[in-house]
Amino acid sequence: MKVLLAAELLKLRTTRTFVAVAAVAVATSMLIAGLTSLLSEPSEESVLTDVFTSDTSSLFILILAIVGISGEWRHRTITSSLLAAPDRLRFLAAKTLAFAAAGLILSLLISIAVAILGFALLSSRDLPVPEGAELAAQIGRNAIVAALLGGFGVGIGVLVRNQPVAIVGVLVLSFAVEPAVLGLVPDVGRFGPFVALPVGVQDVPAADVGFEDIRPLSPALATLALLGWLSASFAAGYALLRRRDLD
Amino acid sequence: MLLGLVRADAGTARFDGARYEDLAHPSGQVGAVLEDASFHPGRTGRNHLRVLATAGGHPAERVADVLAQVDLSAAADRRVKGYSMGMRQRLAIAAALLGDPNVLILDEPANGLDPPGIRWMRDLLRAQAGRGRAVLVSSHLLSEVAQSVDDIVVIARGALRASGPLAGVLGSSDGPVTRVRSIEAERLATLLRERDIASEPEGSGALLVRGAPEAVGEIAANHRVALVELVTVSRSLEDAFFELTEAGS
Repeated sequence: MKVLLAAELLKLRTTRTFVAVAAVAVATSMLIAGLTSLLSEPSEESVLTDVFTSDTSSLFILILAIVGISGEWRHRTITSSLLAAPDRLRFLAAKTLAFAAAGLILSLLISIAVAILGFALLSSRDLPVPEGAELAAQIGRNAIVAALLGGFGVGIGVLVRNQPVAIVGVLVLSFAVEPAVLGLVPDVGRFGPFVALPVGVQDVPAADVGFEDIRPLSPALATLALLGWLSASFAAGYALLRRRDLD
Repeated sequence: MLLGLVRADAGTARFDGARYEDLAHPSGQVGAVLEDASFHPGRTGRNHLRVLATAGGHPAERVADVLAQVDLSAAADRRVKGYSMGMRQRLAIAAALLGDPNVLILDEPANGLDPPGIRWMRDLLRAQAGRGRAVLVSSHLLSEVAQSVDDIVVIARGALRASGPLAGVLGSSDGPVTRVRSIEAERLATLLRERDIASEPEGSGALLVRGAPEAVGEIAANHRVALVELVTVSRSLEDAFFELTEAGS
């Protein structure tokens, strides 16, 4: 399993898509954190979620994971991948772990960069900054979201092999369908994997993301629910991959 | 099916008693080149092989070894999207050789190769076979196959039509055929007919004889008939293929 994981991480590192998307994730996160630090005046209570949750890695790693797995079919590299690793369960597990690890690392890098920038800008404006322990916990929660969505993206990509359909579908679900469900049926919407559960894991007040009356799940429950989405997509993806002919 | 990529309706394929997916080191025991081998266009040839070497648990040094073996060292750090078809085919072969396997399976290996490339491929396969490896080539280029292989298996519409040494499969089902040429072709045809050996004229003093050249030569010598040509007529693999596949259809 270790060698498969190493191979999947090597695949990630040796494609320009990953580097480009990671760079965009870093840039947008820094931009949001920088503008929030410069243009808003967060209170001692809100500064943590106002500035230090601007890590956008989760969305980008979700897209990258979909691109990574669906690209195996698009470029028809799935056959050489499965010749090297014919056990499809291990192959899919390695892919899932690789994107979870990539999400974790990317999120940590972004969170640390955002923390440095946020501390520097907020301090220069004599605005409150969060406690070190609070910030560390927030960075950890951000990383959990990115890791879980990275793995979830692999499951989605196996289920929907058509790359454009998978990406557009996820974007529509994230920015249109799930917010609509959240607004119309909050008790259902708060289990949504793209908006509500990440907000719950990050412990961000729902009002900060435009939902005044929503009560997100607690970080622990939201983490479990997101893990449930990942597990379900993995199981369904494996069931499909196991009986799929590759000719 | 051999490699577990497509499910078989029935039966299993095994290498040393195990299915491909159950082998301890699959790519170290079986190397494969599939028709229309595909690569991530943005990755370099070297990186493609590094990924496969890592996944297969092969030493990193093997990458440089197989790149040299397929004569791709100079292009190894170029992105695969810039490779010609022949270079892609060489890269696919390099991937199959990574684990130094005892079994090589190649589907249409000459695809995209130019004539020197085809000769190189033929020599490579012969060299692998010469080292005691089993090399299974699946191809529709029958003339190419006929120049490369020792044994042949003919499959048509899912059924085995023939298998065995190439010479045996190429031999006519009606026994040996001999072409003989003589300035006394008519007299020779009469002598053969007296021995119940059928022949038919081919023109220019040649006869196509249903019999072994030894028998034809003996009759000619005994009756002092001068010959200018005496050869066994072999079917081409293409002729044999059509005969075998049409016979069963």
